[in-house]
Amino acid sequence: MSYDICIVGSGAGASPVAYTLAKAGAKVVVIEKGPWLTEKEFFKDELAISLRDSYNPKLADEQHVIEEEYVTENGESYWQGESTSDSGWSFWNGNVVGGSSNFMSGYFHRLKPIDFRLKTEFGAINGANIADWPISYDELEPFYAQVESEIGVSGKVVKHPHQEPRSTVDFPYPPLAEHAVSTWIDEAAASIGFHAMPVPRAVLSQPAMGRKSCEYSGYCSSYGCSSGAKGSGRAALLNHGVATGNLTIIANAKVYKIDNDDQGKVTGVNYYDSQGRKKSVAAKIYVIACQAVETSRLLLASKSAFFPNGLANNHDQVGKNLVFSAGGTGQGDFYFDELNEQKKAELKQVGPFINRALQDWYQIDDKSFSGANSQGKAKGGTIDFLFYQNPISRAQGTQRDESNALVWGEQLKKNLIQEFTTYKTLRFEVFNDWLPTNDCFVSLDEEVKDKWGDPVAKVRIGSHAHDLQVGEYLAEKGAKLLEELGAKNISTSVSSYPPTNLMAGGCRFGDDPKTSVLDRNCRAHEVDNLYVTDGSFMPTGGSVPYTFTIYANAFRVAEQIKSRWQAFSAEV
Amino acid sequence: MLPNSFFDNSFFNKNYQTPSWLKDKLSRRTLLKSAAGATAIISMSSMSFAETKKSYETALVSDPWQTLNSVLMHLMPKSASGPSAEDIRATHYLYNVVYHQPTEQEEVDFVFKGVGWLNGYSQGQTKMNFSQLESIEKELMLRAISGSTAGENWLAMLIGYLFEAMLSPPAYGGNPNGVGWKWLQHQAGFPLPSDGQRYYELPKRSVVQPAQAQKITMSVHNGTEKLKVNNKGTRKA
Repeated sequence: MSYDICIVGSGAGASPVAYTLAKAGAKVVVIEKGPWLTEKEFFKDELAISLRDSYNPKLADEQHVIEEEYVTENGESYWQGESTSDSGWSFWNGNVVGGSSNFMSGYFHRLKPIDFRLKTEFGAINGANIADWPISYDELEPFYAQVESEIGVSGKVVKHPHQEPRSTVDFPYPPLAEHAVSTWIDEAAASIGFHAMPVPRAVLSQPAMGRKSCEYSGYCSSYGCSSGAKGSGRAALLNHGVATGNLTIIANAKVYKIDNDDQGKVTGVNYYDSQGRKKSVAAKIYVIACQAVETSRLLLASKSAFFPNGLANNHDQVGKNLVFSAGGTGQGDFYFDELNEQKKAELKQVGPFINRALQDWYQIDDKSFSGANSQGKAKGGTIDFLFYQNPISRAQGTQRDESNALVWGEQLKKNLIQEFTTYKTLRFEVFNDWLPTNDCFVSLDEEVKDKWGDPVAKVRIGSHAHDLQVGEYLAEKGAKLLEELGAKNISTSVSSYPPTNLMAGGCRFGDDPKTSVLDRNCRAHEVDNLYVTDGSFMPTGGSVPYTFTIYANAFRVAEQIKSRWQAFSAEV
Repeated sequence: MLPNSFFDNSFFNKNYQTPSWLKDKLSRRTLLKSAAGATAIISMSSMSFAETKKSYETALVSDPWQTLNSVLMHLMPKSASGPSAEDIRATHYLYNVVYHQPTEQEEVDFVFKGVGWLNGYSQGQTKMNFSQLESIEKELMLRAISGSTAGENWLAMLIGYLFEAMLSPPAYGGNPNGVGWKWLQHQAGFPLPSDGQRYYELPKRSVVQPAQAQKITMSVHNGTEKLKVNNKGTRKA
């Protein structure tokens, strides 16, 4: 069967294109590797979500090879890969219809104008491949507004030193119910001159668009949403796309190769169906959005006479400049016996959201900061506050004593009671730019193959030292707030390891085909009818979680694709 | 003095190395990932839940389940301080892990191997199986085997299953009426899965008939160390 638009992947990068084009009347097919689940198949089940990771492939079936840097006794460093089927370190983030957007926390911070011109604002940093974006914030702004309305973002705009310009006064949905600790944070922040701000969330605070509002189960981050309130690509867009009658979703279908003709134009997409049989589909325009690592893998695997190094890769740029999110975490404990009854009751509340962030240092301007810029100026980031739930994981910390020996019997029970009933931990997460470097990229592994017999992606995960400096600077600020709140056992962990759920880049967009894979409209420089609409396009990642920007950019590109398709249709 | 052959087939086998699946299960890395929502390696098994109850009750009166039940009860005994392994139905939960959850065969084998090793050691020391011992002797046996790597691994794995039995949704066979949650004042989320909605009963992924995933083992880096040793940076996003 032939379609107008063929989209590989179904998450935040894919669903806006499917939705926009299906509504415009194009015949659209979405090919998704995972199963098509609905709200009825998402539960607050720690085994399913976390301990058995059941919304992702088995790592024995589908793995990545992760390359880390090692140093010998002689001080020589080298890169060595390890298959994730051996390490257990999964790089999958939700292989189902709607992709990882089903499991996001939905912290929907926009990028800020400065994120689009990092090189111009702060200059080059040695060892980093920083590039300005080919578009400005103003070009993306209308699509952020569209996402807020169509995905459904709940929040409240407040005056803030780093508030980005907006075309709408406020969010379309009022803030979600807030945890009492949000007020604690506001007061503590004000007392030390910080500006705590409400976090916009892609979770409906009111029923709308055929979806229910949030039910406040207290389990949101990393869990699939059973009410439909969370703005996954599936709940918010694909369902409406399917309702037009123009969108076909082929689930359990793994695309392994994209074909092209002798002019380099894409002619079809090959996939294995649910039974492992080879099938193919053709369309006029093709869109790839499999999340950064897998998008690069698919392009690299699609070799032909015209593209011997992989589709759209005659300038050897595919897979390069992969970025994650730098930063880390911090936490502090509040002991119930040190609080009065009211505060204790407030702290123990489960259900509402903390929804507080600090962005005071989105741009660092502090002479004491010894980053790359001698004037103490650098791109900073975002600090978000949250609670974790997951009781089984929490219990796992109680099975050893201080000398690391196993405990059981009465001691184990005592440890469990102590762990669960005497205190609560408030956490924060730091998000800052993961600078693109030559040590972070995707290639194809030459030995390890997935269950279909295709080479898996090899991911080198080197990071830039500057990321740690910024992360530590921000983590200290988060810790300072916890201190003001009276938290105990405050600790921070800033890491050069990538958070595997926050990935972008690999097919950066730009005006020069020699240094970028995609043009400013996310069409491949080398392939006339090929677009990439997931986070792969980002030359730099910004200092907030990616999903909001991926959605916004995909809506932007969808308008371009719609115009192309309408032009094609008019020719016919 | 026990013969050397005894040690080859016991917790005290000097050649025992923690298998990779277990390393990952017990590692800090997994803990961190689990805290934020990721990972674990599973495979498929398929027995209907209806068969469980009858066969579980039959199984419980003989080994290996008699010993496993006895060990779990010792690890989490009846007392005034909170529910016991029996109260959280830990053995029943573990039975489901072995026969209903799609647990890796290696892991199942290790559960049972440990029973053999424990009773072998118990017989060697006391001429009795573990389950026949008094509490003080049981404690001595478990303390002794926890001094070996394999014994420590086995006990840590069982304690991990105690936590799962105590704090997972009741549909998995433990935590009846949320007794573990109530004890630890933990407010569970909703909706919870019922029978037919457990993680291994979700709609299946695509299958592949002929080919099998190729797995290779990477070389071990003797004499080298990682340049950067940090906690994994997983965040909720």
